[in-house]
Amino acid sequence: MLAWLSACSGNGQGLDQGGRPLTSGGTAGGVLTADFDSIQHNVFTPICTTCHAGSNAPQGLHLDAANSYSQLVGVPSAEVSALLRVKPGDPANSYIVQKLEGHAAVGAQMPFGGPPLPAATIAVIRQWISDGALRSPVASGIGTRFAALSVVPAAGDFLEAPPARIVIAFSQELDQTQIDATSVHLEATQSDGRGSVDVLPATAFVPIGNPRTLIVEPAAALSAGRHYRVVVGGVTRSTLSSIGGDRLLSSGNDNDGTTLLTEFDVAAAP
Amino acid sequence: MKRRWAALTLLALAGAGLMVPLAAFAEPYLAVQNGYKCVACHVNPTGGGLRNDFGVIFSENVLPVRTLPANFPTWSGKLTSFLRAGLDARASWTRTQVPHNPTQEQRQLEQLRLYADIALIPERLGIYLDEKIAPGKSQELEGYVRLNDASHGWYLKGGKFYLPFGFRLQDQTAFVRQLSGISMITPDTGVELGFERANWSAQLDYSNDIGNASAEARHQITGQLVWVQTAYRLGAAASATSTTDGNRRLGGVFAGLRTGPVAWLGELDLARDDGFADGARTMLAALGELNWALHRGQNLKLTAEIQDPDRAVPEDQFTRWSVVYEITPLPFVQLRAGFRRYRGIPQNDAENRQAMFVELHGYL
Repeated sequence: MLAWLSACSGNGQGLDQGGRPLTSGGTAGGVLTADFDSIQHNVFTPICTTCHAGSNAPQGLHLDAANSYSQLVGVPSAEVSALLRVKPGDPANSYIVQKLEGHAAVGAQMPFGGPPLPAATIAVIRQWISDGALRSPVASGIGTRFAALSVVPAAGDFLEAPPARIVIAFSQELDQTQIDATSVHLEATQSDGRGSVDVLPATAFVPIGNPRTLIVEPAAALSAGRHYRVVVGGVTRSTLSSIGGDRLLSSGNDNDGTTLLTEFDVAAAP
Repeated sequence: MKRRWAALTLLALAGAGLMVPLAAFAEPYLAVQNGYKCVACHVNPTGGGLRNDFGVIFSENVLPVRTLPANFPTWSGKLTSFLRAGLDARASWTRTQVPHNPTQEQRQLEQLRLYADIALIPERLGIYLDEKIAPGKSQELEGYVRLNDASHGWYLKGGKFYLPFGFRLQDQTAFVRQLSGISMITPDTGVELGFERANWSAQLDYSNDIGNASAEARHQITGQLVWVQTAYRLGAAASATSTTDGNRRLGGVFAGLRTGPVAWLGELDLARDDGFADGARTMLAALGELNWALHRGQNLKLTAEIQDPDRAVPEDQFTRWSVVYEITPLPFVQLRAGFRRYRGIPQNDAENRQAMFVELHGYL
């Protein structure tokens, strides 16, 4: 039986760590580092997609390269909806970390049926989240222009439910002394973008331990069936600056002195 | 004498609490060894969980190496004329070696579950509950209403329950359970129409899709048919899921055979899933298991498994073999020790691990 089984296991020739052909987009993985691509190729693809892929993915979470970022970062957990699967800047309150470390309130420790990930691997995932859970690695420090690298919800997103917060990751550390109530505006219009613009009260803050991330939390729950914009500047002409003194670069969407960070829609209530 | 038995029982149950109670999952090899259908021992017609009157008697008098003394209080499972209850506690110690990684040891309480069956109308209408109370916060795994006809030949249940598909193995990490996604930790919400008569057992389910974590309505249809004879059984199961992520079709055949003291189990499952980003995949998983009743209350289990995650990709299969020794020294207490060896593609360390484990299982 053992001989039969040994003969049955694949030799892996021409495959990546996840068992996918190298010629169809697979990669060899490389050393694990605290960036999304490395974590995808060294952890999510070879270990997690054994179950978290296809139409039967547990909790609707797909961790293949095509889906994992958009289904992890800033997305509420299916098991504990009060927690985000990945909360940029806050690994302790990211559900993925709780599941990997085995102290989540619900369900089994991940990977299910296998040994826990080594502490060093979880530490790398924690570091990636602390660094803002960016999609792409960022060269930190001098020489990197100060710009928003990723925003959740992303521009153009159509959400089934209103987000509790907007998370913006920047390429450099923010100058927190320049952030006040006028720095960032959360605006709402009708779902077609027409009508009057309501500026909604919201708080913008930099989370402890992650100086490259800005979190915008509305003072009240956002309404369904509206179009939302998050902008910097406006009437006050204020902007965001890095600790190096660089002002926020425009993404090309300036309109009357504002810099658009993201705009998204929330579906109407059923 | 009575005090000694009481002390032994308390010691074993305390040990189960200190280590990790391992869930009261089903053990289909017992059914094959004895020529029983699942419903012979379990309240749930498709097996697993709370035991019925005969299941409790079987657990108390047939399974263990030693039965309790005649004057020792017995457990019937009935708290009142309309309420039956049970529990399942499992704890484990596991030592895992993954190539190129440090060896890991884990002690954990795998689960503590409570079961209840409330007879609203005796023998006709009841409510079944399966609640995990540890570790972590309380979680309802099953909760359904069951309606039987007078002869218990037909039943209808509605609510949250485990879908029927293949053998309800004790090991939820078995490849066939992982490929199908249907196991005793993945309940679904829906309705089940069941048929239990003579040598036949059949179920037809309409549910919301096990993997559906969204508010979106999805559809999963599952069916199973089993023919049970004294010395063997044959079964077939199928399931179809329609989702916006893609569609999934699942088929499986399974069989059990008793040859003297050995119960053989075999299952082959095939899945076609078009929900992958890089296109549809056809996947296969198979299990072969030998259960050798060494002595009363003792079982040696040898299992061989293979999974092919994509039939179109050569040399990507992984395998697992296991040796597990199980002993039930006293009623409602089981010890299990085993070794599992995984073999997969050499570039994936996790697929080439090996693990030793000891489990302590207490149940009522």
